[in-house]
Amino acid sequence: MGWFDLKIISRHFDVPQAKDIDYYVEHGGYAAARQAVRMDPAAITTEVKESNLRGRGGAGFPTGIKWGFVPKGAQTVYLVVNADESEPGTFKDRHILFWNPHMLIEGMIIAARALGVKSAYVYMRGEMLREYPVLQTAIDEAYAKGFLGARCFGSDMPLDITIYRGAGAYICGEETALLSSLEGGRGWPRLKPPFPAVKGLWGQPTIVNNVETIANLPWIIEHGGKAFADLGVGRSGGLRIVSVCGHVNRPGVYELPLSVTGRELIEEVCGGIRNGRKVKGVIPGGVSMPLLTEAELDVPFEFDALQTDERIAEVEVQPGVKFDLGGGRTLRTMAGSGGVVVMDDQTDMVSACWRILHFFADESCGQCTPCREGTGWLTKVAKRIDAGQGRPGDVDLMASIADGIAGNTICALGDAAAWPTLAFLTKYRGEFEAKIRSSRFVAEQRAAAEAAASQAVHPGQAGKAVQASKAVQASKAVQQGGVTS
Amino acid sequence: MGTFWLAVGVGAFWLALGASSRVDLVGEPILGFAAAETKVTTKQLSPEIEARIQELWPRFPPQNAAKALCIPVLYLAQQQFGMVDDEVVDLVAARLSLPAAHVKGTATFYTMFNKKPVGRFHLQICTNIACQITGAYGVFDRCKQRLAVENHGTTEDGNVTLSEVECLAACGYGPVAQIAERGKPDIPLYFENLDLERIEKILDALAEGRVPVDLGS
Ligand SMILES: Cc1cc2nc3c(=O)[nH]c(=O)nc-3n(C[C@H](O)[C@H](O)[C@H](O)COP(=O)(O)O)c2cc1C
Ligand code: SF4
Ligand code: FES
Repeated sequence: MGWFDLKIISRHFDVPQAKDIDYYVEHGGYAAARQAVRMDPAAITTEVKESNLRGRGGAGFPTGIKWGFVPKGAQTVYLVVNADESEPGTFKDRHILFWNPHMLIEGMIIAARALGVKSAYVYMRGEMLREYPVLQTAIDEAYAKGFLGARCFGSDMPLDITIYRGAGAYICGEETALLSSLEGGRGWPRLKPPFPAVKGLWGQPTIVNNVETIANLPWIIEHGGKAFADLGVGRSGGLRIVSVCGHVNRPGVYELPLSVTGRELIEEVCGGIRNGRKVKGVIPGGVSMPLLTEAELDVPFEFDALQTDERIAEVEVQPGVKFDLGGGRTLRTMAGSGGVVVMDDQTDMVSACWRILHFFADESCGQCTPCREGTGWLTKVAKRIDAGQGRPGDVDLMASIADGIAGNTICALGDAAAWPTLAFLTKYRGEFEAKIRSSRFVAEQRAAAEAAASQAVHPGQAGKAVQASKAVQASKAVQQGGVTS
Repeated sequence: MGTFWLAVGVGAFWLALGASSRVDLVGEPILGFAAAETKVTTKQLSPEIEARIQELWPRFPPQNAAKALCIPVLYLAQQQFGMVDDEVVDLVAARLSLPAAHVKGTATFYTMFNKKPVGRFHLQICTNIACQITGAYGVFDRCKQRLAVENHGTTEDGNVTLSEVECLAACGYGPVAQIAERGKPDIPLYFENLDLERIEKILDALAEGRVPVDLGS
C-alpha cells in the first residue's frame, strides 16, 4: 500500500516526548530553521514556490505566490498563523498543536526569515484549552534555547512569537476577520482587495497561513522544494493531513498522499463504514464544501481534482439549471480544510442540512444582508421541512435563497453556507421532497381542500419567492452602503 | 417577483444604517465615550492581571497595544469575576483607555464571554454535524432532562450551566463535551465518545461537585 510510509508532520503524533524541545532537536528538529536564518530570504521563497505547497486552511492558494504579494521593501511585515480551526469536521490543526508544537514554531522561523518578519502571532481558537499551554510551553522553551528572541540561533535575525487567543467566533478563522479580532475588536471580515499581504494587521503587509501550511516548511527547507513537489500530484505538492469523522470504523487524523481517493480513504485507511453499512454522502473538506454522493468517491481528494473532475455532479439551482461560479464555470466541490465527514445510509440528509445551516446562521457576523438574512431563512425553512411542516415549493425556495447569497457577500462565509445547501438540494432532492409530501402541512391542506372541495388550494408563499433571488441586487446595494458609509 | 429578497432588503436597510454608525464608534476612540466618563466601580482588576498586562503590552506596537489587549484582558477579567457584565466592561475600558462602547461591542461579539453568571460547572456539548450524526442530541436531551434546564440554563442550585456549542474540533471522537469550573483555570480536557451511559457518569460527578477527570482525555 505504502500510504503510511512517509510522514512529514504526523511523525511525532502520539509521541508524548515530542513536545519536549530536547527530544525534538535530537530527532533532527530545528536544523532547517537554523539553516534558514542564514539563508537569503529570496532563496527560501523560491524553494517554497517550487514546492507547490498550497494553503491548507481551505482555499488551497499557492503559498509561495501569496508570499510574493508582499510589497518589495516593506519595512514592517507580520506573520499570523491561523490556528482558529473551527470548520466542523476538521480537527487536524489541533493535533499538530498538541503533538508537534515545535514543528510549527520551526516553520514560523523559516517563514519569518523569508518575509522579513520580526513579530509573529499565532491566533489560536479560544476553545483550545488543552493545546494552548502546550504551545506556550514550547515557545518558552524555544526562547530559552535562543531559537527565538533578539538573535535567533545567534544570527542577526530577531523574532518574537505571541499567542493570541480567540474567544469563540467561527468567523475569526476567515483571515480578515482574524486580523480585526487580533487588533482587539469584533471579528468582522473586510472587503478584499486589499489583500492582507498588501494591507493587513494594523495596515501593514501581513501573511496569514494555516498551521499545517507552516508546519510543512521545515521539511521543504531540509529536502528542497522539488522533492516536496514530487510527493504531490499536478499543481499540489506534498502530503495532506485529513481528519476523518462520522460513521467510519477508524476515524482520526491521517497524513496521506494527495492521490488517495475518497473511496480508498474510507475503505482502506478508515476501515470502512460502521456496522457494515454503506456510504450515503461525504463532505470532503469541512462543512463549507459541497458534499459528494457514494457514486462520486473515486476522485482523489486533491484541490484541483475535486474542483474539476467530470465524475462529480455539478450543483444545480433548479433542476437542469447549473450553478454558475462566473464565466460558465460550474460548481463541483473543494478539498477545503481536509475535514472529511462520512455519513452512512441511515443518515437523515434533511436533518444534517438543517444542522449545518443552523451553524452558519449562528456564526454569520451580520454585516451583509444576504448572508445574515439568508442563512436565517434557510435554517427556518430547513427546520420546518425536517420537523414535518414542510410546504410544497420549499425546496425551490431554499435554492433561490441560497443562490441569492452566493457571490453577494463580503467574505466567503456566505458562499460556504450557500454551496453545500445547493449540493444537498441537488443530490438529495428526493429526501427533501419525501418529507414535504408526508408533512402535516400538506396533510392539513389536503384535508381542508377535501372539506371544502369548491375552495381553491392556497398557493403558499413559496411560489412567489422562487424568482426572488434577483432582488438580491437591491439588498446588495444596501449592504455596500452599510459598510462603506 | 423578488419578494423574498426585497422584503429582506428593506428590513436590512435600517440594520445596515445602525451597523455603519457603530463601525465609526469602534474605529475612532474619540467618538466613543471617553474612558474617564465611565462609572465608578468598587471592583478592581487583580495585581495578577496588572502583571500580565505589563508582560503583554510590549508584544504589540505601542500605538495599537491598548486595543489589542482588549480581548486578553476581558479573558483575565472573566476569570477573576466569573463573567463580563457592564461593570467589568467599564473596568476594562478604564484600564486600557478604550471607549466602553468598543469594549462592550467586543465582549458581546464573542460567545466565550459570559454576560450573565454561569453555574459552578459549565457543561458544553457539541451538537454540530459530526457529533449530531453520532448521537449528540440524545446526549444533550438527557442532560436537559436530568438537570431540568433548557439550553444555556443553570440548575436551581447554581451547580451546572448547560450549553449546546458548535464544533470543538474533536469531531472524530463525537459526541464531545468540554467542562469549565468557576474560579479555576479552564479544564484542559475533552470528554469524547459520549453516550447515554458516559454522560450519566459525568452528570453524577458534577452533582457530587467534582470534574470526572478519569473520563476525560
Ligand atoms: C468562514 C471562513 C472560515 C475560515 N476558517 C479558517 C480556519 O479556521 N483556519 C484556517 O486556517 N483557515 C480558515 N479560513 C481560510 C482563511 O481565510 C485563509 O484563507 C487561510 O487561513 C490562509 O492560509 P493558507 O493559505 O495557509 O490556507 C476560513 C475562511 C472562511 C471564509
Ligand atoms: S458573508 Fe456573512 S460572515 Fe462574511 S462578512 Fe458578510 S455577514 Fe459577515
Ligand atoms: S462536530 Fe462536534 S467536535 Fe466537531
